[in-house]
Amino acid sequence: MNAANVAMFAVVIGSIVVFGTATILALGWAFRNGQFDNFDQGAASIFGPDEPVGEPTDAFPK
Amino acid sequence: MSSVTVIPLHDRERAAAERASIDGSCRGPVLYFTASALFWLLAGSILAIIASAKLHSPYFLTGIPELTFGRVRMAHLQAVSIGWTSMVTMGGSVWMMCRLCRTELIYPKLLYVSATLWNIGTLLSVGGILLGDGQSVEWLDAPPYAPPFFVAGLGIVSAWVAATFRRRREKHVYVTQWYILAALFWFPWLYTVAVFMIFWSPATGVVQPIVNWWFNHNFLGLWLTPVAVGTAYYLIPKIIGRPIHSYYLSITGFWALALFYSWAGMHHLIGGPIPAWLSTASTVGSMMMFIPVIAVGINHHMTMRNHFHRLKYSPALRFTVFGAITYTWVSFQGSIESLKDFSEVAHFTHYTVAHAHLGAYGFVTMIFFGLYYYMIPRLTGREWSSSTLIRIHFWCASVGITIYFVSLSIGGWWQGRMLNNPDVSFGNITRYLLPYLFSRTVAGILLTIGHIAFATSFVMNLAGWGKKRTGGPTFFVEKVA
Amino acid sequence: MDRGMVIFLGALLTFSSSWLGLILFPYWQLNNEKPYQKEPGDDPYPMPLQGEALAGRKIYQANGCIYCHSQQVRSEKFGNWWDENGQEHTGADIKRGWGSRRNVSRDYIYDNPTMLGTMRTGPDIANVGSRYSEAWQHSHTFNPRALNDWSIMPSFAFLYRKEKVVGERSEKALKLGREWTVDPGYRWRPSASEWDAILQQSGDAIKSRYLTEPTHTGGIDPNTPDGKKRLLDFWLTTEEEGIQIVPTGNANALVAYLLALRKAEVPVPEAKE
Repeated sequence: MNAANVAMFAVVIGSIVVFGTATILALGWAFRNGQFDNFDQGAASIFGPDEPVGEPTDAFPK
Repeated sequence: MSSVTVIPLHDRERAAAERASIDGSCRGPVLYFTASALFWLLAGSILAIIASAKLHSPYFLTGIPELTFGRVRMAHLQAVSIGWTSMVTMGGSVWMMCRLCRTELIYPKLLYVSATLWNIGTLLSVGGILLGDGQSVEWLDAPPYAPPFFVAGLGIVSAWVAATFRRRREKHVYVTQWYILAALFWFPWLYTVAVFMIFWSPATGVVQPIVNWWFNHNFLGLWLTPVAVGTAYYLIPKIIGRPIHSYYLSITGFWALALFYSWAGMHHLIGGPIPAWLSTASTVGSMMMFIPVIAVGINHHMTMRNHFHRLKYSPALRFTVFGAITYTWVSFQGSIESLKDFSEVAHFTHYTVAHAHLGAYGFVTMIFFGLYYYMIPRLTGREWSSSTLIRIHFWCASVGITIYFVSLSIGGWWQGRMLNNPDVSFGNITRYLLPYLFSRTVAGILLTIGHIAFATSFVMNLAGWGKKRTGGPTFFVEKVA
Repeated sequence: MDRGMVIFLGALLTFSSSWLGLILFPYWQLNNEKPYQKEPGDDPYPMPLQGEALAGRKIYQANGCIYCHSQQVRSEKFGNWWDENGQEHTGADIKRGWGSRRNVSRDYIYDNPTMLGTMRTGPDIANVGSRYSEAWQHSHTFNPRALNDWSIMPSFAFLYRKEKVVGERSEKALKLGREWTVDPGYRWRPSASEWDAILQQSGDAIKSRYLTEPTHTGGIDPNTPDGKKRLLDFWLTTEEEGIQIVPTGNANALVAYLLALRKAEVPVPEAKE
């Protein structure tokens, strides 16, 4: 294993650690921040009084 | 239906008026984008038929340098990837973003500039290639004078989508918005890096194909796929009037896609003169793609459950669900294709071409057709004038892509097996493929007939031949409750 | 911090990871590769393209040759097949004679763009320069079916010029029968009545020419349908009188590029297997 390969491995493993930590921190933050709460409400956000849940909104033209 | 609650009429009218006003604010630019996209789809279809026919009948149009196979093939790819899919991606993103943010589009005129820049770029690209300026860098064949137009046009759209997002009145950020925001952030970066490292400051030797395949795969993975999946996440619940089955799953799917899809692509260089670890890294990325794909697949399926009968009534749903189902299959196939043993056969063959078309057409384009059928009447205020044309379009598209995929997959697989066996002469491989290549032309003609029906519908709608929409959620065939 | 920032940062991080891993690392590893020199005084390999070959690469690019021809010979261990005894073998690329060794990244350091290719509708041509002659390349480029009847490659007759011979035939003139040159790019065959007219006019000359061929013993009777057909088949393979097809500058450049494609010829230490 030459120096270039060692350097490569160091960078690969280093970046896995850095990105992994960043990902875990971000997910942890998101949970604490309540980003994962209330999913049902989120899913319903595209419906409104004019196009409520339960009403289909498209059909072949008559 | 028991789930329908009674909504006070004035609330309903207010919400409908708000929605109409948002749709109205996007009308001009989005119609410009979608009409241009449709034009490029037709141009791309004609180029496709010419290229396809030349592969089984080499004397077809042989004397014209502008129409030699290599040039037509490059021009076809530019017309459909940069012209068709990218322009729908941008137009559709603007419209969905405005709706989901519940805010009107500001300064729409600048988006006309963006679409015009994009059209000029595509014209220079397609025309330049036919006239002999193609670059032979797969997916990035545009002549050197075209990319600045794309970068500028894309910059405007990305800025507009971001600005719309900043002005949002809806508190919740829906999953479709996640996909759109990410795509419009990724693609300019992706495109600029690729053009920079291949053309403006060319990297040495095989670094170029590495950048090239990173771009190509991410063009589908981080540009078309997020917006197409996002569109399905918006259209399917909206059309059937039922929220996404698991919103949690949709967000997980988003992050898994963001993380893993960008790592795929290098397996397209399998066996080539690149470091082996690169292909391996991409194989891992591709295998991990099972996670987001299964997430999206389960989610869409569970949302549609008990509502499949609506495919009969809604054209937009029919196309969108076709595309969403294909997404699952094409992604499974893609993950398998990244495996070394599989790729040793499929690489360098028409099998890959079939796979690419299943992704770009069966999945992305079909969902975009669904988007047109849903969005255009709401922008023009007119219903589609003929359901026959829609049916022709659907059946030509779905049968066409099926013939395309099946014939080239079978032919391509055996092509690969024979290429791996030096006892089979090259001439025999070529002869063996002819019927499959001919089927592809038949498929291409079918698809084009569908596109012509679609374009006719579109022009009739713009010209005002359809019945006027009467405010609120029209289009009901079934009576609600 | 709102959701917009989460999406932005997430998109940034995930994408940077792939950019770093798939682009930057290979860039560091491969961007500064140097040519190979076995002994200090030897010619380095590879050498940059020059002159006509360099111009030819543009023609290759402009006509999208990459979409049917790859330029990479793969290892002896790549890809498997079984012979009739059920024995497994690998390495078709080299066994097909496409190159004497697998390609390595060093073979491409002067390529720009690097056209590895992803399709083999036609054969691999990484090493085509050492496989065919210049004359073969010209005839094949002009109309591939003149050499391989099964070929589906486009004819590039538009890179050639058809002209009247003034004085001597040009050295570069293609040596192809009239069936390929009467209508450049296509395969020509006169209709029955046209052939009758031609026979009327110069049947004797064609017949005597036919008989000068050493294999054509036993004579021929142009009045029988069979004789007529045999004479026609022969006549089609003879060159057109007073007419020649010569390559234009672009055709010369393209063929110079093809002849310069010798990527799997010189041994390099890293291409062992």
